[in-house]
Order: sequence, then C-alpha cells, then structure tokens
Amino acid sequence: MSKREDILKKFRDNVRVRFDMPALDDIKAVTYPDPLAQFVKTSEAVGGKVVELAPAEDVNELVRRLFPDATEIASNLPEITIANRNPDTVPDAQALNGTDVGIIRGELGVAENGCVWVPQTMKERAVCFISEHLVILLPKGRIVNNMHEAYRQVGFNDSGYGTFISGPSKTADIAQVLVMGAQASRSVTIILTL
Amino acid sequence: MSTSHSKKAKAFLKDREYTQWHDATFWGARTKRDNMAFGLEEWEQLREKASAIKRHTVSHLDQYLEQFSDNAAKNGATVHWAADAEEFNQIVFGILKGHDVKKLVKSKSMLTEECGMNPYLEARGIEVVETDLGERIIQLKGQKPSHIVMPATHLSHDEVGELFEQKGISDEPGNHDPTFLTYRARLSLRNEFLTAEAGMTGGNFGIAATGDIVVCTNEGNADMSTSCPKLHIAAIGLEKIIPDYDCLAVFHRMLARSGTGQPTTTYTSHFRKARCSDGEFHIVLVDNGRSDWVADPDHWEVLKCIRCGECMNTCPVYRRSGGYSYSYFIPGPIGINLGMLRDPSQHSGNVSACTLCNSCQCVCPVKIDLGDQVYKWRQKLQEFGTASKSKKMMCDAMSSAFGIPALYDAATRSAHLLNKMPHGLVHCGLNPWAEGHEMMAFPKKPFHKIFGELEKEEKS
Repeated sequence: MSKREDILKKFRDNVRVRFDMPALDDIKAVTYPDPLAQFVKTSEAVGGKVVELAPAEDVNELVRRLFPDATEIASNLPEITIANRNPDTVPDAQALNGTDVGIIRGELGVAENGCVWVPQTMKERAVCFISEHLVILLPKGRIVNNMHEAYRQVGFNDSGYGTFISGPSKTADIAQVLVMGAQASRSVTIILTL
Repeated sequence: MSTSHSKKAKAFLKDREYTQWHDATFWGARTKRDNMAFGLEEWEQLREKASAIKRHTVSHLDQYLEQFSDNAAKNGATVHWAADAEEFNQIVFGILKGHDVKKLVKSKSMLTEECGMNPYLEARGIEVVETDLGERIIQLKGQKPSHIVMPATHLSHDEVGELFEQKGISDEPGNHDPTFLTYRARLSLRNEFLTAEAGMTGGNFGIAATGDIVVCTNEGNADMSTSCPKLHIAAIGLEKIIPDYDCLAVFHRMLARSGTGQPTTTYTSHFRKARCSDGEFHIVLVDNGRSDWVADPDHWEVLKCIRCGECMNTCPVYRRSGGYSYSYFIPGPIGINLGMLRDPSQHSGNVSACTLCNSCQCVCPVKIDLGDQVYKWRQKLQEFGTASKSKKMMCDAMSSAFGIPALYDAATRSAHLLNKMPHGLVHCGLNPWAEGHEMMAFPKKPFHKIFGELEKEEKS
C-alpha cells in the first residue's frame, strides 16, 4: 500500500463516530445599510486609506498627487501610464525590489473586514507585496457585506493564486506595539473607481 | 506535590512586575477578542457552526483528504504524505536537496516546530530563515516560541534591541524603538527573501473542494517567501483540511477575531499551483499521531483546533506562568491536551496548570472542551504512573476517613483546633494548602452542625 493509503486506512479504522455536516445557509451574518460606507470605515480602521476617483479625474494624476516623491512605479494595468516597471516583463521577481508604488486591480471588497480580493493577473505577483506602497483600484459597485458572500463570488483564474488584502502589512511582535510595514507594503491605498 | 509546570511557574512568578505585565498583555488580547466577538450578533452561532463543521470534517477526514489530495494534484501540485516527523523532515530535505537549495525562507508553522524541522535541515547544511518577525527574533535568540501566535511577546523591546545590535541588524546602539527595530528587521529580511532558493509556508486551511492551501499572515511574509523563490513547499497537518469555501468563510471570520482581536489578518492567500512555469509547488500532509488521536473518545476533539491561540490569552495560569513553564512546545490549555496525547509520561507535569475555570472552552471558536479534557487527564495520571505520590496518600487517607461517618464527624468538629496551632508549624513546607497564601481558618461549627440546627429550628 502507498503511504497515502496507509494513512487513510488508519484514519478510517480509528474514527469512532461520524458526524453530519451542519446547514450553513441559516447563518445570520452581518449586513450593512450602506456596505460601501462600512467598507471605507473598516479599511481605515485596519490602517488602509480609501479615496474615490472623481468622474473626470485621471487615475495617473491622482496617484502622482498621492505619492509625489515616487520614482519607481510598477503596474501592468493598461490605464496606468506613469509606470516605469511592468510586472509582466521584468526578468524576475527580484527586479521589482525598490518599487515605490505598485498599482494593481482588486475584484471585490468586503465591508465587514476591509478585505480586497486580488487574483494574480500579472506574471510576477511580488508587485503586490514588495512595493513600499500599494495602490489597489477597486470598482465601488463590487462591495459585499461579509466573507460568506465574498467566498461565494471570488473568481480564480489560471494563475492558481489569489489573496485577500486588508490594509498594510503589520506586526506587533516587538513589545506588542503595532507597526505598519512589516515585510510587505507599508501602506495600502484603495482607489474606488466606477 | 510540585509538578514540572508548578516549579517553573514559581520561578516565573518571582519577578512580580514582569508577571503583572505578562498577565496584562495577554489579557489585552482577550479584551480585543471580546470587542470583536461582541460586535457580531452571530458570534455564538458561528462558534456552533464552526464546531459542527469541524466535528463533521474530522470524522470524515479520510474522504476529505482524498478529495483534497486529488484536487491539489489536478492543479499541478505535488502531494506528499508523511506518517511522522522523521518522514516529514526527510521529504522536505529531499525536495530541497533535489533543487540544490542552500537557503530556505519560511513563514510561521507550528508543524515544523512539532517535527523539529529547522535543526534537521540545518544539520544537513541548509540555512533556514524564519520570516515572521516574532519567529525571527526567537530564532536569532536561540529560543522556542512562548506562544503559538505571538511567539516573542515574552521579550521586551530592550531585549530585542540588544539582540539586533549583537546580530548586526541594528546599527544604532540604544535605539530600541519598536518601529525602528521593525524597520531594521524589514531591511534584513528583504535581503533574505531576494536570495533564497525556496520558500516554505504552513497552512491555516486546506480546501478539499479546490485543492487550495490557505495561509493567513499580518506581515505578508508568507507571500514574500513564495513570490520571490520558484520553489514553494507547504507543510500542513491532516486536521487542517476543510470541505469548501462556505466552511472557510466561517473559520476565516473567527480566526483573527479570536486570535488577535482583528476583523481579519492582513493577508489571506490561496495557493493552488507553482507560481511560474519553471517553478514547483509541493504540499506535505503530515499525520504524526493525528490518525491515532482520532480514536480517543475523550480527546479526539482537539483535532478541531484552528490554532488561534485564544485559549492561552484567556488562561489565568498561562498569563501568570508564561509559555516556557509548560513542557510541550505548545503551551496553554490546548498545549496541555496535545502534549498528553503526544506522550503522557513526558507531559503529565502540565495538567496541573489549570484551575478548571473553563474560560478556555468558553472562548474557543470551535468549542473544544479544553478544561473538561484536562480534568479527564487528571483522572488517568495513576494509569500513566505520573500521579503525585503524596497526593495519592492524602486521597487514600481522606477516602478512609470519609468512609467512617463517626471519624469524619470527629475530624470536622475538632478541625478548628488547628487554627490555634503556631503559625510556623501550619505554614511549613509539609502543608501544600498553605503554600503561597495563608492557611484558611476552620469554622468552629462544621456545616453538618449548622445544617442540623437549622433543620431543628424549622421544625419547631
């Protein structure tokens, strides 16, 4: 027998009582009168920043205004014209080190915890973590109340990777003092788009 | 009557100020959890569901493991099965050696701690770099985690600052500001991420329906560890497999709220395949006792644990004795029970680290009967040959006294005479009831007498 079969057989032999799966559709999960407003509030509570793109505004100008000192900007999004690094064409992930601002797209925002679903849509996903500052473009019509709704809607593409991001990288491992910017992005700005 | 835990706890308690700080720090985590839990009307319903899902999943793990393994393989992952710690270490070393890996960056995994993986790999010439800040600190200090979620919280910022100065991570002697130290660690670890040939993660969940490995971190270190190197190894205990995304939603909502009092961890990452066409993704499923534990009618439910760490934060004994007072590598209520399943002859010294207040099982997000289980272990100490001999003698004496009503009556009626004994005699080392506090005063009238008098009064 293979190792897998050995272990599975042992489990099968040793389980004493088998329990049924509970119903999950009766969970009375939190909903909000205005999920978008709640999403903004929660995102700020977890250390993120949310700005709304004005109807006539150019997203590149907005990013420039938010990060006037940024020189290395990475993105593969067609509407981003100020990027001088492209995660699709860099030779390797390491080449993205030193990125001041990375700009990516989010698919779904979650009101209860500020999570934004980011499936991998670039060759080097390191751009989502290695950038000092991360900007996520998120359509404001794509906000759900809670994780139950979110997990029913998340899309997975062929890359085989997706992540929820809620605010900047953080740690309290030294004396329980909360510090933003542990190993990944030191700030996260969500730009709400139409 | 001292146990291994009580001896170490006694040493811990010598520093009163530190004990108070330790107690307050972890109680702070409990308070944050409460704010989160009370903020959701459905919290208790979520706990019920989480417990029921886990009961179902753990008792059908054979089926879910098969499904997980098949789906992960379909996604392109290589799935390995390890019966024990030795096999796990061999498998990991084999993969690393096959890729000529010299440096491995890894995110937090209590499973690798359980298997003693780091020393195994280091002895074979592979440099292992912990990338969770807390884990990195204790790795540099040559210590073990004192808590499963906040592994270095027992250290002060001065201790961390001095450590960083010694190790060349900090170049500003005396600057022990946590923000500064975190930034210095960030720079040092950034270099490790960029130069490692392989990344390793644990797994908070494995999803049977999709073959995903799900990893939750606040620092983003699991993602940094797996987005630079081309080789990713995920190590996961069998019991971490859950059926699908609907179940994941329930656990995701509870894990960070329980563990650190956050609505979510910063990152919740789903891994299905290697990150590039010339990369590899290996998943190692580890048994190491779990398939035996599921047969234990009193203790199998510890397999429901999602390792949030909240039972430690709430435990009055953990808060006042610290992680290093326990002999098992996982401390606190869950650690007491896991240690006993692992080896009762080694870890019986921990079952005294419980007041049976049951705070742990009141906050456990998956409703493991942690305190009740500790009680059950205590009943079995005799069987393991680890029961205290003096306690046994006392219990035997008490059961014979309680068996003879006249003797029992005489004893309770005259007990108050002990109050008049010289203080030094009553508070000598032979009387464990007067250790660390004053001996109680025995009442002049025993309960039986008061009760009899009341009965008489009522009748007249």
